[in-house]
Amino acid sequence: MDKQLIHFKIDGREFQVAPGQTILNVAEANGISIPTLCFSKKISRTTSCFVCLVKDAKTGRFLPSCSACPVEGGEYDSSTEEVTDMRRTALELLLSEHQGDCEAPCTIACPAHAQVEEYVRAGRKGEFLEALKIIKQRIPLPMSIGRVCPRFCEKDCRKNVTGEPVAINDFKRLAADMFYDTYMEELPPLSGKKVAIIGAGPAGLAAAYYLRLGGVASHIFDKQPAPGGMLRYGIPEYRLPKAILDKELAHFTEMGIEIECGKELGKDLKLAELASGYDAVVAAVGCWKPSSMYTEGEELAEQGIRWLEINNCGHTGNPGRTVVVGGGNTAMDCVRTAIRLGAPEVTCCYRRTEKEMPAEAIEIHEAKEEGVKFEFLCAPLKIRREGSELIMTCQRMTLGEPDASGRRKPVPVPGSEYDIKADTIIAAIGQATDAPEGFSTTRRGDIQVDSNSNLMIGNIFAAGDCISGAATVVEAVAGGRKAAVSILRMLGLTDEKPSRTINVSRGHWQKNNLTRENLVFLRSDVSDAERVQLDLIELTRRTSGFEEVSRTLHQSDIMAEGKRCIECSCTAKSDCKLKKHSETYGASTTRIGGKKLDSGYDSRHPAIIQDRMKCIKCGICVKICKEVVNQNLLSTKRRGFSTEVGAAYGNPLPCSCTECGQCIVECPVGALDWRLKE
Amino acid sequence: MTISDKIRKVRVGTASCGLAAGGAAVLDALRAQAPQLDIDEVGCIGHCYAEPTVEVITDAGSILYAGVDASDKAISSILGLGDAYRFHIPEARAQKELLKVLKLAGRINPVSLEEYMANGGYGALKKALDNTPEWVIDEMKKSGLRGRGGGGFPTGMKWSFLAAKQAEQKIMICNADEGDPGAFMDRSLMESVPHQMLEGMLIGAYGTGATRLFIYCRAEYPLAIKHLKIAIEQIYANGLNKINGRELEITIKEGAGAFVCGEETSMIASLEGRRGTPRFRPPFPTDRGWNGWPTSINNVETFGNVPLIIAEGADAYASVGTAGSKGTKLFALAGDLEFPGLVEVPMGTTLSEIVFGIGGADPEKVKAVQTGGPSGGCIPKELFDTPVDYDSLKSLGAIMGSGGMIVISNERCMVETARFFLDFTHRESCGKCTFCRVGTTRMYETLERIVAGNGVAADLEFLETMGKKVGKGSLCGLGQTAPNPVLATLRYFRHEYEKHVIDGQCPALQCNNLVDVYISKDKCIKCRLCIKNCPVNAISDDFVVDNSKCTRCNTCIEICPKKTIARAKKGECNCG
Repeated sequence: MDKQLIHFKIDGREFQVAPGQTILNVAEANGISIPTLCFSKKISRTTSCFVCLVKDAKTGRFLPSCSACPVEGGEYDSSTEEVTDMRRTALELLLSEHQGDCEAPCTIACPAHAQVEEYVRAGRKGEFLEALKIIKQRIPLPMSIGRVCPRFCEKDCRKNVTGEPVAINDFKRLAADMFYDTYMEELPPLSGKKVAIIGAGPAGLAAAYYLRLGGVASHIFDKQPAPGGMLRYGIPEYRLPKAILDKELAHFTEMGIEIECGKELGKDLKLAELASGYDAVVAAVGCWKPSSMYTEGEELAEQGIRWLEINNCGHTGNPGRTVVVGGGNTAMDCVRTAIRLGAPEVTCCYRRTEKEMPAEAIEIHEAKEEGVKFEFLCAPLKIRREGSELIMTCQRMTLGEPDASGRRKPVPVPGSEYDIKADTIIAAIGQATDAPEGFSTTRRGDIQVDSNSNLMIGNIFAAGDCISGAATVVEAVAGGRKAAVSILRMLGLTDEKPSRTINVSRGHWQKNNLTRENLVFLRSDVSDAERVQLDLIELTRRTSGFEEVSRTLHQSDIMAEGKRCIECSCTAKSDCKLKKHSETYGASTTRIGGKKLDSGYDSRHPAIIQDRMKCIKCGICVKICKEVVNQNLLSTKRRGFSTEVGAAYGNPLPCSCTECGQCIVECPVGALDWRLKE
Repeated sequence: MTISDKIRKVRVGTASCGLAAGGAAVLDALRAQAPQLDIDEVGCIGHCYAEPTVEVITDAGSILYAGVDASDKAISSILGLGDAYRFHIPEARAQKELLKVLKLAGRINPVSLEEYMANGGYGALKKALDNTPEWVIDEMKKSGLRGRGGGGFPTGMKWSFLAAKQAEQKIMICNADEGDPGAFMDRSLMESVPHQMLEGMLIGAYGTGATRLFIYCRAEYPLAIKHLKIAIEQIYANGLNKINGRELEITIKEGAGAFVCGEETSMIASLEGRRGTPRFRPPFPTDRGWNGWPTSINNVETFGNVPLIIAEGADAYASVGTAGSKGTKLFALAGDLEFPGLVEVPMGTTLSEIVFGIGGADPEKVKAVQTGGPSGGCIPKELFDTPVDYDSLKSLGAIMGSGGMIVISNERCMVETARFFLDFTHRESCGKCTFCRVGTTRMYETLERIVAGNGVAADLEFLETMGKKVGKGSLCGLGQTAPNPVLATLRYFRHEYEKHVIDGQCPALQCNNLVDVYISKDKCIKCRLCIKNCPVNAISDDFVVDNSKCTRCNTCIEICPKKTIARAKKGECNCG
């Protein structure tokens, strides 16, 4: 036989191969990466996904490289912008029909991107040490966050469709409480690099934690006498006892992180010196400047955040009749602290209604239980002193059109002024960043950084409230981690990129009006039980002192709670080729829109789930079952956009399926998969 | 009833078109009234607008009757050679048409081998068998015949590939899966002269050494299949299938209706009993076709041309047509014209001659013609002087396709036209390739949005870029050509798209969401017909149309005796 070699080029590189080789074969063997979805070496070509396109430079035609063989003298482009664009478009077309949840909505909602489903699953199995390890990959302060987190995850939990969300945060609290004094991370040897961190609050601590896990030592400075930042000086004892916080912080010291208190930037420390004396600097100075009410006599009022700070250091004594202005979490901390200090009457004045309050619903609920009165649609106009009393003149408001925040704007009602009498008035209407000298700031006064890396300039990074404005602990630790990863990358100690991840979602339970039919149940034992109840101390103990309001839940309750989790995320989230290629090629999940198939998922087989909504019709499974397994149990049905893959006549996989799993191994998107997640 | 004694023979058109128009009843009535006459069923003469047709053969020549029915008036006129219902082929058509392939269509009994042979049938096969297979291939090459299914690949060359193959089995397939909406050339030929195409196949088998013949015909053509089956039995009975020392088997495979099965690799998959989806070429079917054997696939009309070429010789055949496209071409004329039907004209005839001349379309009212069906493109009236052949149509962004020609009047919206064709192709995608399955769907959704009045300017760019990408990134002809109607309308009628997305108007006043219906009161005679007939009670007692209720069903417009009701651009009419 005449076995002449074929000479051709891919991206200008010359090759000579025997006939019969495809362009993809040659590219793969020579380190040229071409993405594929429908290609499997085990079966005859499917030539369906068209993600592996190359351009024949001579004819101008696009060829599927998995099937096209090079011709003599051929020249093929695999990396030009035109080819990349075609591949990206193929991926975006597939994304436009693909339905699933790359990640569970709880993880997407979590600012720290904690692997919620995974630690809840570990908890369900009673493996709380494992749960803690998963939690600490993203949440280095689980004892604190397990107590004070506003639970973004639970708000997006799909369990909301049928009832109350899974009590996710309680998993953190239990796992952390169980192992706080026995668990220690495996610490890599130190690289000799050292980072200065300003601020021992959540952001600074998180940065130090993840730097240490990356082999970098840190030196944290804090202007306060004790570390913890807002955890210690902002959050009241009854929500986060100082003893708990001390235990959590002790862990950082055990890890070898230096924390030096009583050092203030600008006074005791100079930014330029830190920047030159350390390999990097992280500013995590927080957001401590109280916002003004812009009312006459404002100086007669306490400032919420300051007042809490004082009470966190030792109590002020009974504040008498107390009026707190504001509707956020700081306002709730103030009213509930006032109750505990023995105030005979505590009122919260807020200019909109309860529905618009930024405070957490549970805080409002517990404040009401403790006897706080709420005065809605009420805005302060001026404060004056009359004898020993403070008089706050207020104005009635009514709700107008929605403003930029989406909440309806309060509008004054003319002639509705009235007075409220009080002994103490506390303004808790927000905080702003007091950026130290030398930092560039945004219009709002926060420190300006590159949002991908948290880098300000040179080797100076920033994280936490000081770049975002007053936010939550979990957001602060997310920022701290981001700064740490950026520094590790800068120091050449990690490959982790601020990678662009895509997320396909079946939709938000509320915004997309999901029903039970939209939920995918992989396990047959997903519990429909009610959400586990909080274990609160008696009301009299709550109103008479600063004892922690809630107790850590019991293991058996948390394990049962874990059964309620639906486990929304994709079974293939670690190895989905569509996701991988889409991220590589910068494909967007939204650039191409349109209808999606409504063909549902098939969970009739005990071990294998078939999710037609994920299926990209590549045809591999059909051919695997026919050509490799020799069973021919799957086929392609219908035409056009309604094309679907399944067993004949819409039946479940028959008993002749040996569960060999070959289709599952080869499915690029997890449309066919084992039901049970590991 | 008087029956003229001059009548020698009566032919009634009972192809599908004739039957649909009532030909069977006419036939029954004629036979009942004149049992003594020789009354024959024949195929289609191509004048669809004139069906049912009856041809009366007399010693003095033939007389055509058209638009007849089974009434005594019609039957007595026919049998008495009266003037009523007499039909004269329009002058323009008589001049331009050149009946070669269709010469016997409607003139002989389709299932009579004797009549076919009496008209020279199977003479070409005999001539071929008297020569060598190489001579056949040579003649085919010299004739310049190009595949009539749409691709336009030289038939002689395709056959020479098959002929060159040394294989135990070689396969020849007739593609009779005519799936384009508006195309009916192949059906008509199979129904009217089934032997002509079969003779072409047998000649092909001789030339190429094919050992087995298939006809892949869509199941929606029961009459064609019936006639083919009878003709094949006649071939067997007369030993006409003895070629190269074998008795060839001719198998009819009825397709289940998937458009994509007209694509050759899908057709082979379907013939093999698999799902009809295309595969990557090469290998081409002439290398690896049905069950792995070398296979040639040719279209019905292509095979229909073969006996002509062999009979009259390649040179005579090639004397008709243009430099790159030889012979005649059948066109199925449909749409907004006076004389829809099947026509046969020499390659190189201009679109004007076909559309205005033969089709009788009003030049004032026509704006474009769509050639090549849903895979083709539209050509605006300004370019109607183009001579029709494979290459000229391609250069205009349309294609010859199998020969569907749909005339589009000014009253049709080009966006809606594109949407209509894409509705077909996006459903008919086999669902395999990403660009075709999802890309055409996204384009279709975009067009739907535009005709519904919800389009945005960015949609046009999306259609253009996605259209090009779908064309480049699809495996088979279906996907590669599916965007053509969109790209061609965007090329020639972009202003219509822009009117929709920028001004919220449909210039043709076709898109219901972008028009209002109004009554101009000055001419209104207050007959109340519109009010009485409006199905949604959208017209008030003082003759004002409530456009929020109106469904744009056109009932009032059609029923108004004074033509005072019309469509207008949305919001532009304050005629109250």
